Amino acid sequence: MPSRRDLLRCAVVGVAVATALGAGALAWSSTLLGEYSVMGMGSGGTTGGAGHAGHGGQGAAAGGAAEASGLLDTVSVTDLAADPDRPADVRVELVARQGTVDVPGGRSIEGYTVNGTSPGPEIRARQGDLVEVVLVNESVADGATLHWHGIDVPNAADGVAGITQDAVPVGGRHVYRFVAADAGTYWYHSHQVSHVQVERGLLGAIVIEPAEPDGRIAAPTDGSPLDVTALLHIYGGQHTLNGRVADERVSAPPGSTVRVRVVNTDQGTAAVWAGAPFRVVAVDGHDVHEPGEIEGQRVLVPAGGRVDVAVRAPDRGAVRLHVGGARSIVIGDASAEASAPPVRQPSTTLDLLAYGTPEPLTFDAASPDRSFDYVISRRFGIIDGRPGNFWTINGRMFPDVPMFEVAESDVVAMHVRNDSGDVHPMHLHGHHVVVLARDGVAASGSPWVVDTLDVHPGETYDLAFVADNPGIWSDHCHTLPHAVDGLVAHVMYEGVTTLFTINGEAGNRPE
Amino acid sequence: MRKLYSGLAWTVAGAVVVQAAAIAFAFGGMLNLIAEGGVVDKALLESFQAGGVGELGFMIHGLVGGLLIPLVALALVIVSFFVRVRGAKLWAALTLGLVALQVTLGFAIVGSPYLGLIHGANALAIVVAASVAALRVRRARLADRASADAASGSRSEGASTDAVAA
Repeated sequence: MPSRRDLLRCAVVGVAVATALGAGALAWSSTLLGEYSVMGMGSGGTTGGAGHAGHGGQGAAAGGAAEASGLLDTVSVTDLAADPDRPADVRVELVARQGTVDVPGGRSIEGYTVNGTSPGPEIRARQGDLVEVVLVNESVADGATLHWHGIDVPNAADGVAGITQDAVPVGGRHVYRFVAADAGTYWYHSHQVSHVQVERGLLGAIVIEPAEPDGRIAAPTDGSPLDVTALLHIYGGQHTLNGRVADERVSAPPGSTVRVRVVNTDQGTAAVWAGAPFRVVAVDGHDVHEPGEIEGQRVLVPAGGRVDVAVRAPDRGAVRLHVGGARSIVIGDASAEASAPPVRQPSTTLDLLAYGTPEPLTFDAASPDRSFDYVISRRFGIIDGRPGNFWTINGRMFPDVPMFEVAESDVVAMHVRNDSGDVHPMHLHGHHVVVLARDGVAASGSPWVVDTLDVHPGETYDLAFVADNPGIWSDHCHTLPHAVDGLVAHVMYEGVTTLFTINGEAGNRPE
Repeated sequence: MRKLYSGLAWTVAGAVVVQAAAIAFAFGGMLNLIAEGGVVDKALLESFQAGGVGELGFMIHGLVGGLLIPLVALALVIVSFFVRVRGAKLWAALTLGLVALQVTLGFAIVGSPYLGLIHGANALAIVVAASVAALRVRRARLADRASADAASGSRSEGASTDAVAA
């Protein structure tokens, strides 16, 4: 027979436990996101009062007028599109399917294909072309989209489920239209459940050739492939080059220069190096000004980033270009592969901060209209009912992360700092940013213009860009599981709205 | 409560053994992958395939170390407030403190590999702390039972139910 004191103690413990569980359940349920719009996400990334006040001063009259006219001035993301009356110069239909991906040279995996293969077909366009791509979702159960990674497309064509469109359901189709304004190497991939769909193959390369041929690279005269794409992807643990678990050979006459367009579609950094000197002629679709020869150094390509390298075929035999840790391309006399044995990866890395020679920027980055901090860190918490060790932006956890609000034609400064222990390949949609400084050291080489930038632990980058492409744009980590764990913020233009939502009926889950 | 307390403490100690096994399995898988001609790079690591056949080991190590052990250690501290054994709260708190240190070290290893030296040694400290916690309460339970037997034997009604272990 328990004593009265025992009963009392049991009652107290019972009430305490029930209260604790109740409070815990309440706290947990308050983290559930449900259906939400990025329009409702936080603000407050702004720092540097001088820069912001300056903007307020010069734009006070215009800003007041815009506010007075209120909602009448707003524009939907779907209206920010390429000229609908202009006929397409390049038209492609891409059919997305869910199923078995054949991996030549390796074992096949369950994943996604585009027009029956992964990677999907390479799209080639000429600078200035209007590109029209029709995405048909034949069997991707979660729905799919196409994002044009690195191409500064109009917002309506950005392909982010829940922001610029609804995920295309099975049986549905969606048309993407954009002018290929900047020549360079880019890629396309799904931005719906992207951490799964990209990793499992819903992707491909797109190359925009310059309107004027690049004088530094010999134009193919005899039809030989002096311009090749090296798309890297891991399928089920197998490193592939252009979808095959095999190295490639490029026949090139002695002394000719081959342009290799390295596309890193993986979740982590890839290294590129060679047994002979080579040059980096473009980074993320922007030409490097007067690139010097690189010897005994490797080039690191961030996840999602692209690097175009120029390799000279030797006078005799061949040269081996290593792309990614596991694959390589043998260039030159293809029958003389033995003359190009694998070489050890150099331990020093080419610093793009001081590569090439300076060239004036197209805008004045010294007096930005807006200045934002993007500080990456990590802590324990709960996102959408899921406990974990999550990424934070400016100390806040998703969805309480900053919204970077800008107005068209603003010069925007962004200060990215990585206080976490991991590398983060930060990718801004719809824009290219120029690196002004790293850890306080000013850039001293060719303008380093990127859309995807590896920020290593402890590093600080000062970046700038011109807000010249209205819309709502993701600014996230391209190690895609990191984006799922909260490393996503957005750049939002004044007066732009979206009616699309995340987690709603359309099942939009961009990350 | 005492049974629950020692159960939780043994769980922490046992889970550390699982951790050691899992991480050895994972690195075995990675070395096997490399031996078979595979290449481990950042891209492979970030797509959660760098462990080869031992990849499950990395997942277990992350899940048990990042979630299960911290939760159990936290529960141990909460339960310790209802266990009237001298040192129960102290050893539970010590266990939780070591676990917190261990998790922090684990996440910091990539940036500062030398912390791995402490991470490995600290794991053994957690086993010791959790085992001492469990053993102290078990000893108190046994002592109580003995004194209760003695009390019922002598028909004495004065035996304290809240005996404090020596």
